[in-house]
Amino acid sequence: MLNFEDVEERDGVRLSWNVWPSSKIEATRTVVPISALYTPLKQREDLPPVLYEPVTCKPPCRAVLNPYCQIDIRGKLWICPFCLQRNAFPPHYKDISNTNLPAELLPKYTTIEYTLSRPAQVPPIFLFVVDTCLDEEDLKALRDALVVSLSLIPPYALVGLITYGTMTQVHELGYAECSKSYVFRGGKEYSPKQIQDMLGLSAQNRAAPRPGQPMPQQTFGAARFLMPVQQCEFQLTGILETLARDPWPVANDKRPLRCTGVALSVAVGLLETTFPNTGARVMLFSGGPATEGPGLVVNNELKEPIRSHHDIDRDSAKHFKRASKFYEGLAKRASNNGHVVDLFAGCLDQIGLLEMKSLPNSTNGVIVLADSFATSIFKQSFLRIFNKDDQGHLEMGFNATFDVQTTKELKVSGMIGHGISAGKKSACVGETEIGIGQTSAWKVNTVTPRTSAAVYFEVVTPAGQPLQPGSRGLIQFVTHYQHSSGQMRLRVTTIARNFAEAGSPSIAASFDQEAAAVLMARIAVFKAEIDDSPDVLRWLDRMLIRLCQKFADYRKEDPTSFRLTDNFSIYPQFMFHLRRSQFLQVFNNSPDETAFYRHVLNEEDVNNSLIMIQPTLMSYTFDTPPQPVLLDSISIKPDVILLLDTFFHILIFHGETVAQWRKAGYQDQEGYENFKELLEMPVADAQDLLADRSPIPRYIVCDQGGSQARFLLSKLNPSTTHMSTSMYGNAPGSNGQAIFTDDVSLQVFMEHLKRLTVGAQTN
Amino acid sequence: MGALADQFGQMNMGQKGLRLFTTNLLTSPPEPMELRQPPPEIVLPPNSCLSQSPFANADSSYQRSTLNAIPTTNSLLNKSKIPLGLVITPYRSLKEGEDEVPVVTDTVIARCRRCRTYINPYVQFIDGGNRWRCCMCSLSNEVPQLFDWDQVRNQPGDRWARAELNHAVVEFVAPTEYMVRPPQPAVYIFLVDVSHNAIQSGMVATATRTILENLDRIPDDNGRTKVSIIAFDTSLYFFTLPSGGADSSMLVVSDIDDVFLPKPTDLLVNLQEARPALESLLGRLSDMFQDNHTIGSALGPALQAAFQLMASIGGKIIALTATLPSVGVGALKNREDPKALGTSKESGLLQAASPFYKTFAIECSRAQVSVDMFLFSSGYQDVATLAYLPHYTAGQTYFYPAFNASRTEDAIKFAHEFGKVLAMPIMLEAVMRVRASKNLRMSSFHGNFFVRSTDLLAMPAVPQDLSYAIEVQIEDTITSPFVVFQTAVLHTTCYGERRIRVITTALPTTSNLSDVFASADQVAIATLLANKAVERSITHKLEDARDALFNKMVEILSAYKASMTAAGAGASAQLAISENLKMLAVLVLGLLKNVGIRQSAQIPPDLRAYAQALLTSLPSQLLIPYVYPNFYSLHTMPPECGTVGEHGVIMPPPLPLTSERLERHGLYLIEDGQTLFLWIGRDAVPQLVMDVFNLPNYEVLRGGKTTLPVLDNPFSQRVNAIIQKTREIRRGVYHQHLYIVKEDGEPPLRLWALSCLIQDRADVLPSYQQFISQLKDKVNGSGY
Ligand SMILES: [Zn+2]
Ligand SMILES: [Zn+2]
Repeated sequence: MLNFEDVEERDGVRLSWNVWPSSKIEATRTVVPISALYTPLKQREDLPPVLYEPVTCKPPCRAVLNPYCQIDIRGKLWICPFCLQRNAFPPHYKDISNTNLPAELLPKYTTIEYTLSRPAQVPPIFLFVVDTCLDEEDLKALRDALVVSLSLIPPYALVGLITYGTMTQVHELGYAECSKSYVFRGGKEYSPKQIQDMLGLSAQNRAAPRPGQPMPQQTFGAARFLMPVQQCEFQLTGILETLARDPWPVANDKRPLRCTGVALSVAVGLLETTFPNTGARVMLFSGGPATEGPGLVVNNELKEPIRSHHDIDRDSAKHFKRASKFYEGLAKRASNNGHVVDLFAGCLDQIGLLEMKSLPNSTNGVIVLADSFATSIFKQSFLRIFNKDDQGHLEMGFNATFDVQTTKELKVSGMIGHGISAGKKSACVGETEIGIGQTSAWKVNTVTPRTSAAVYFEVVTPAGQPLQPGSRGLIQFVTHYQHSSGQMRLRVTTIARNFAEAGSPSIAASFDQEAAAVLMARIAVFKAEIDDSPDVLRWLDRMLIRLCQKFADYRKEDPTSFRLTDNFSIYPQFMFHLRRSQFLQVFNNSPDETAFYRHVLNEEDVNNSLIMIQPTLMSYTFDTPPQPVLLDSISIKPDVILLLDTFFHILIFHGETVAQWRKAGYQDQEGYENFKELLEMPVADAQDLLADRSPIPRYIVCDQGGSQARFLLSKLNPSTTHMSTSMYGNAPGSNGQAIFTDDVSLQVFMEHLKRLTVGAQTN
Repeated sequence: MGALADQFGQMNMGQKGLRLFTTNLLTSPPEPMELRQPPPEIVLPPNSCLSQSPFANADSSYQRSTLNAIPTTNSLLNKSKIPLGLVITPYRSLKEGEDEVPVVTDTVIARCRRCRTYINPYVQFIDGGNRWRCCMCSLSNEVPQLFDWDQVRNQPGDRWARAELNHAVVEFVAPTEYMVRPPQPAVYIFLVDVSHNAIQSGMVATATRTILENLDRIPDDNGRTKVSIIAFDTSLYFFTLPSGGADSSMLVVSDIDDVFLPKPTDLLVNLQEARPALESLLGRLSDMFQDNHTIGSALGPALQAAFQLMASIGGKIIALTATLPSVGVGALKNREDPKALGTSKESGLLQAASPFYKTFAIECSRAQVSVDMFLFSSGYQDVATLAYLPHYTAGQTYFYPAFNASRTEDAIKFAHEFGKVLAMPIMLEAVMRVRASKNLRMSSFHGNFFVRSTDLLAMPAVPQDLSYAIEVQIEDTITSPFVVFQTAVLHTTCYGERRIRVITTALPTTSNLSDVFASADQVAIATLLANKAVERSITHKLEDARDALFNKMVEILSAYKASMTAAGAGASAQLAISENLKMLAVLVLGLLKNVGIRQSAQIPPDLRAYAQALLTSLPSQLLIPYVYPNFYSLHTMPPECGTVGEHGVIMPPPLPLTSERLERHGLYLIEDGQTLFLWIGRDAVPQLVMDVFNLPNYEVLRGGKTTLPVLDNPFSQRVNAIIQKTREIRRGVYHQHLYIVKEDGEPPLRLWALSCLIQDRADVLPSYQQFISQLKDKVNGSGY
């Protein structure tokens, strides 16, 4: 039996099923599709440097040589397992033998990374798009953070600056005479051609150079706006340090005019004209909603509130569709060119992230939501993007594409993650569509060691045509990207799994319930982005029931007989929490928050995603080592401290008694060292959690009964609610805290599940 | 002669009259000195003026009438065929030693209740001095309470000492009733073309240096003056000029289809507060665009931007451009068509090619924005169209064709003129209205302004030394012995005071045709005719304008012959005209030969349009030499000429404009107020060449634009003194280029200089003799 986590360590992949049903019908019956959560740049210390080009199969297959290929040492041939074509080894492989195999043929290198000989033409590009409708404190904090970031960006990388407020300004860097910027009206939609012309990027209206007088290259072209950090750091720092608030007056009953849409379209326009199909990030720093021009999210009249989920539901959010469409257009252009758009919000209120979500979603950009740019959430999350590896390279790849190749029994249904279709209609594209389908390749633009894509497959072998015993299917993931050092690299992971006949216990035994939960969560969220959430909940329920019907042990119509094997046992609980999560229950959050949460879910690997779906809860009390406890209201006790990690929030909760003692200051008194220690323990653990998480979670310390405690209560299984106390007279206190909710508890949920699975009457 | 004597006898209702002297044009050639005579005397009936002051009637440099005795009826006027009109230069500059216009500071402004005339030396006090009778409409008005109170000393004052009763040209400080809003500060927005051509020509460097050098001269007495600089090629470049600091930043707006201001503050700034930033910017502007390869011009959008920046205040846009506007609103095509020149299509090239320059001008006028155009193109720039903007906004067009700052003379001329424009006090947010006695009506208006509501001339910024011509109609019989014309210009001074400048001219009336002729002011008539001719050349054709000029001259001569000579309607061997109109024929000939009007297929439309702009804006003092240039013989001038006499440098006697006067060994000066030609004959002796040019002989002397050396010999110094005096003697900003013209030098330059000698025959254009004989034939043949 495979250890899922070892596989993940090696190949960065977790599969819902590790043994695959051998026919289409059987695959359908297993409910959870064959799918993989793949982390292409999974950090591997042990990968050998491979400084040559990969050997690939003939077109159109182009699969990369891998340990699962059959090789003929004598004939210097290899057989492609995907298309079964014979390929001759290239001449420089003439010396291979069974004892002298290149790395890519060794079984331990099912994942390998090639450094390609042709380097990237252009270094990475970072284009800052900075909102200046900020108060002084925020603006200063943002300026400072940006200045710091200049020291973190590789010196050879190109940087640029666009600022916006009522209008958009593109700053010309390296103009020696004075600070110079190109200004665009905030209320106007500019075509890419106009932007190009207005920035002087097209060579029209130019006097021919006089004979013998070379045309000075500096005066036009993109080099004026995007310059290597090492050349422009001084000047750019100067511009940033003197960056002032948007100078246009704002009436008391108005929001500032903020032309986020124009700023972004100019940024996208500038990059697509000057550096198409190369690695670039547009980093938007926005302190409020777009109130002007295309992409307007809310009117600048303060009396018009920004749209809520209810407004969108009722179709009464008047700017919503237009704005979304506008940003989708930009997102498409950016992602087609390999460019990334990151959104950093520094605002207590919403900034229109929902409308803009397509930008980070289809370009694999980052979203950071902070109440202000002066918060450490923003500062650290932003600077963490520039984390470097041991060699001092950014942990970030650019202009990445992601290809999937399958053996013929398996077809690709689609991908759910951040990116867009690369439109590759290869032979391994299936009919069923899940996520972004109809292709076997995607542009994912940027990849970090955390980037995880969910890929869904279908089995296409017709029933009644059983496979050869012991036959297996192969999946090859090929990620092509621009390394921050300027090299082009190719990461190849090839995995093989066995097919099993219908009813074989090996299929059930190969179920990775954690991976499955995350992979199903992505589908559910993908659906929720399109459908109403009740439909999605019903779909989730139906899928869960069908899965249980297929894999649980039970006697018909006898709920008490219901049993799940270990590797299925907590799956229903994941589904229970998923149903209750902010990913599917949107009304407790703003539309912006929803967009943010969903975005992050689509970014992370299995472990992090599970924390999001079902937060972890640690309990700290006297005389017992800290221990994980049930995410349940019963875990709340007066004498414990709880540490909740929802991935987005890290919360320390002091039980009633602990809170009282803390307020009384016992921890500072002699003789209460153990109390002090108790108080410090969860804080230290929280710091550990915060250390390498991105975006930085919101850190909350609260007491039982305090208003901030609601963050905890909303996550707990309401095994004791205000209803249960009143109806059943359960005494609070010893049995945890009553939660004011109408939600069903896990226990009730499980009862329902059992009954529905076994086909018993409900209620 | 008997009839003539009879007419003398009937003259003037017992007043001291003007005597009419008839002269025969056929036998008395033009005498240039006569153009320097004052206009015919204004002989008012006794006691028509309250004051004994010699300034009680307006000096002709401010306001002059084509007739200094007004016919009592329209039919009498018609008989004379002389056009009745006023030539007004309300804001003429003062030369050193000239008196300032007196200012009435107590804001006690007595005006007629009915016709709104300002009290002046020609009203009558009645009712023991408690009331005054209006000289225009005869209404009896109350004298204002404080009229006789000296507010400065706070004691009873002397009414008879009041400036408005002793001075025909006077300025009132206006009380708040005369303000729609508080007086606005002076605003100057410089639009600087920084396209490839403009930079390469050195215009930008010269312009910015000139602004820099003249910052202290820009009117800013009260520290309120605001400035802005906007550079443009096919984009607009705004500059923030933070007060106090020296760091300006450049904001580029390329969205010329939808012009907007890139910043709400720091673009239009207080001249004093932003001085360091402004100086630093002006010092660098040309270098900033040194490598600019953009060709083309977004002048229209640049104008719109300037307008947006100043619309709430008003003021002056000074546009400096070396390029035909090529993009955005107001873009123009090169429509220069050599085949159209000299044909009836030519006048089309003098009309605006784009409606923008007129509609925008009207917008400017409403917002109290005036535009000056400084044009520098080496190619076609469509001066005709661009000049519309100054025309309707009371600005002026300045033209430096093929400007090249590497030629020192070009740089000096432009810097000098631009400097003067910058230093010039201007009247802001002005309106001008001319009132006249009953039965006189202002009927049409010529000059740079926009006519708002029948007779109100809107002038956002009145520059100095620009002239306006107004035609006057006699609507009904005038019964009063004299009439009054009063021009009032309500304006804000450039130091923020609301004022009214009032110019009053009183003229006797007459029912006698000989008085009409005898009082005719040939200079004023020529000025009015110049304006009418230009107008006609645009509304009709150039040919029509020339015909009208010629016919007008024929009509006047015919009328004179018919009424004032014994020949009457019959043929005459003479061509008679009154002595005071003796130069009119040659002035008309000068107009017919002026670049703005002349029949020719060789005149580039830009030069023609510029000449027309001059013809319709120059005050008589500048216009007359432009039509009838000055011609001096230098090598033969009397010894005192060029030395300093009682009235400054003594000028040589002017010669008639004919090349017959040119001697092969001579040195001559020909000048028309715009250009100076130093003509040197091919047999000039080496000593002369040495003395004047510091060169050994004529052969090594080169013709063309030059700066004359000042040498250590009396002749050189005298010649230089004469040139210097010529450049200084007139009001206005113009600094004449000096060309050396060699008798056998380059033909175009020679022909240009010779074209000033308008009494010569040139190509199809008649000599003075031919012209006179054509006139005579017409007069005799007309069967009048
Ligand atoms: Zn293959
Ligand atoms: Zn009156």
